[in-house]
Amino acid sequence: MTETPKRPKSNSRLIALCVNGEWHEVTVKPRHMLVEVLREMIGLTGTKDGCEQGTCGACTVLLDERPVLSCMTLAADCDGRQLRTVEGLAEGEKLSVLQQAFLDQGAVQCGFCTPGMLLSATALLERTPKPTTDEIKKALEGNLCRCTGYNAIVAAVLQASDQGVTPLMK
Amino acid sequence: MNQLNYVGKSLRRKDGPDKITGRAVYSQDVKLPGTLVGRLLRSPHAHARILRIDTSKAMALPGVKAVITIDDTKGIKHGFVETPRYPPDQEVLARGRVRHVGEEIAAVAAIDQITAQRAIDLIEVEYEILPAVFDPLEAMKPGAPEVQPTHPKVRAEVPYSNIGGRTATGWGDVEKGFAESDYVREDRFESHLRTHGYLEPQVTLAHWENDKLNVWTSSMGTFVKRAKLAKVLDLPYSAVRIHKTYVGGTFGGKIDLYSHEYCAARLSMLTGRPVRIVATREEIFSAYRHGQPLIMEIKTGVKKDGTIVAQQVRAINNAGAFRGSGVVVIFLAWGFTMIPYRIPNLAYEGLSVHTNNPVRAPQRGHGCPQIRFAIESQLDTIAEELGIDPVTIRLRNARKPREQLPNGDNVHEGGLIDCIKVAGEKADVVRRYGKGRKAGGTVRRGIGMGVSGYFGGSLIYPNGSGVIVKMADDGSATVLTGAIDVGQGSETVIAQIVAEELFLPIEDVKIVSSDTDTTPQDIGAWISGMTYVTGNAARQAAGNARDKMLQLAAQRFNCGVDDLYVADKVVYNRLDPAQSMSYRDIIALSIATRRGDTVIGEGFWRTMRDVPTHPSLATTKGRWSENYAFSCQTAEVEVDTETGEARVLKALTVHDCGFPVNPALVKNQVDGQVSMALGHAFLEEIMMKDGYTLNPTWLDYRMPTIHEMAESDDADVITEEYVVGKPYRTKEVGEGLVSGVLAAIANAIYDATGVRLHSTPFTPEKILKGLRQLERERRERA
Ligand code: FES
Ligand code: FES
Repeated sequence: MTETPKRPKSNSRLIALCVNGEWHEVTVKPRHMLVEVLREMIGLTGTKDGCEQGTCGACTVLLDERPVLSCMTLAADCDGRQLRTVEGLAEGEKLSVLQQAFLDQGAVQCGFCTPGMLLSATALLERTPKPTTDEIKKALEGNLCRCTGYNAIVAAVLQASDQGVTPLMK
Repeated sequence: MNQLNYVGKSLRRKDGPDKITGRAVYSQDVKLPGTLVGRLLRSPHAHARILRIDTSKAMALPGVKAVITIDDTKGIKHGFVETPRYPPDQEVLARGRVRHVGEEIAAVAAIDQITAQRAIDLIEVEYEILPAVFDPLEAMKPGAPEVQPTHPKVRAEVPYSNIGGRTATGWGDVEKGFAESDYVREDRFESHLRTHGYLEPQVTLAHWENDKLNVWTSSMGTFVKRAKLAKVLDLPYSAVRIHKTYVGGTFGGKIDLYSHEYCAARLSMLTGRPVRIVATREEIFSAYRHGQPLIMEIKTGVKKDGTIVAQQVRAINNAGAFRGSGVVVIFLAWGFTMIPYRIPNLAYEGLSVHTNNPVRAPQRGHGCPQIRFAIESQLDTIAEELGIDPVTIRLRNARKPREQLPNGDNVHEGGLIDCIKVAGEKADVVRRYGKGRKAGGTVRRGIGMGVSGYFGGSLIYPNGSGVIVKMADDGSATVLTGAIDVGQGSETVIAQIVAEELFLPIEDVKIVSSDTDTTPQDIGAWISGMTYVTGNAARQAAGNARDKMLQLAAQRFNCGVDDLYVADKVVYNRLDPAQSMSYRDIIALSIATRRGDTVIGEGFWRTMRDVPTHPSLATTKGRWSENYAFSCQTAEVEVDTETGEARVLKALTVHDCGFPVNPALVKNQVDGQVSMALGHAFLEEIMMKDGYTLNPTWLDYRMPTIHEMAESDDADVITEEYVVGKPYRTKEVGEGLVSGVLAAIANAIYDATGVRLHSTPFTPEKILKGLRQLERERRERA
């Protein structure tokens, strides 16, 4: 018979996150990053993890309506706060205007940057309903995309803000 | 009349809704209960003998479930190429020696990330450090440390000298050609080390269950992965299933077999639990495979009017520690030299030289941007010496439609001449060329042009694609295809073709893809032939199902198949408007009267049907491709002569992809390639010192951000057409276009400043140095 190992000391704590309008209680350690909690504990894998170094923007979510890098945000610091992820953008089957614009402009290729892009751009449009191209670039400068070359993404944000850009794809 | 409803239309992506809602499942998103975390131990040295590995402390750590080293493998080697000349040369873990920093030595599986990392740290390895070599020219010198001394010698007449691969080919008589030329010049160019920059990291989840290995891995070709993984594990192919997942970008970097894929599989077999290994971004930057830096020596002889008479090309590749795709890039650099222009006399030599750097992989364009940068830069210099404009010299040498290539291939309707003409006109090159330099001033503008050609699909395992179209009894269709959508839009393109051939609304076409157990074999998304090869297979499969249904209807109506037409899943008899039958009824009839036939269509396609295999990597002999794509690209740059900073204002891509099945998806490819070329030109460089990567993050490896995008226009030169029921010819559009634009940028910088750059990237330092040199020369003359 092997001995039962000693119960480990735990510094975990219970936190509550309101994600896309629903409260989730999770037990986290002080080192747990928000991205891990969203993806591994709550099971919302739409948020992507491209670098864990705070350099690609794929993990962007909205914390109290402001874009943050969830790979650089401690989960424990989000206790009691509001979060929005890509899963919370559509209302049921109804896509947000921005999501539809991403489809119409061909702003999605591999799709790995897309959740982060959508959230950065959603935050922008909520602050600034008719952003200029420069404002769009400023808002999306932390989101890398290797596939599209960005032009289609800018066009999608312009389409979503009703600034004379018509769909490229049917 | 050839009226098309789906092919040729810019339809939205089939996979779009999944990707914008977060529903798309990538390999990292697959969750299995009881999954263990795997980690790899990598070499901290560039070259060392392994004297001892002790894994006992790691094994003893609570939470560690398995530890493996080379002793736990079957010792089966693999390689990016596996031919008699270039047999597989790499084991899945290091045996007795490490040859580059980051080489995999051992792997662990543990209950969580922290335990796995602790276990890695507890593995003891004793090394004897060996001398190492990093520069290919140093590596070729006598007495240089030997990286792969037991590799077969590729040149009988000289010592091994780390030369791991050689391509030698040519035609005509270059010496005679140079003697007959009016003007001959020699230049040397260099292209630097860059990486793919896929956003999704390398990740593999493997689960061994009931004698079957289930794998979810980020890749560009599930059938290639299956073959390689089964081989190194010594399992039948049927015991390995690579599942479909969405893939977050590849660009050439996810086709080789990687050690972590083997380790995840083996660790799962040992523990009976699923094992996931995710590479950190730092690991990807410092230990995984990047692209290929090339040194290119080009000697070209021309007539006074700019006609190329002879060309001598030597390309040297810094291949890293194992063969990887190093022996392929030196073959391809020949191919990308040969495609666009007539070269009556050519002598080509490519050398792939082993160094103690990480192994190299294909990278979008695979040698094309490098060699086109060199040749197109030199061509502009020659043109200027001869007083010819950049458009005229290109038109003089460009291949004409239906020209036979020296390797036995034919360019068919290749539209290079039109590409050059249209690009020249649209960008107004002739009128603008030279103006920037004359105008002077601090901020100067320039325009440049670059041409490239690319193959579309070649014969390499698995050589062909199959597609099955199953009709459901409501008349909708399910397509089974092994094609993997890595972002290029293959699922959408295949759905368009099937909808067209079956006269079905595209919403009624569902795609099941890239699962090695349930879908037919496919060539994969890495040989630039999916739209052509898999697309034609899909066309055939859909046509097969359609013909079965139409024949039944014709029998029923007592008319010919040609008398029928289809609208909205109902077949009508043109001769008798009263006669009609829905797909649903026809399928029911088929089941009732054709011994249960539920209407399944099958199709398959292979490029170059009568050719047994790919051309020789050593001699280039043999057919290579039947789909040559051509393009001419221009770039407009602005250079600040005080800071040396250059930027692209506008890029134009005029290309011949045959015809676009989906023009918006083609445009997507163009934009992505222009952006990647900007990175190549100005921003991206893997910095290495003594085998260590100095900048293993996106903070220091600067990929284009949204601030660095350039205006990108494109135009198609349509040379082929799509007719329902007939084979079609499309050409490559997703790789080659990183090339001409890079050359165009170099030429535009010259046009703006008079500075001729012989190496990438085009940094402010190089431009300033060139400007100062020009200034000195001007003063000396004065
Ligand atoms: S994963 Fe957070 S910035 Fe890349
Ligand atoms: S769509 Fe692939 S990274 Fe943006």
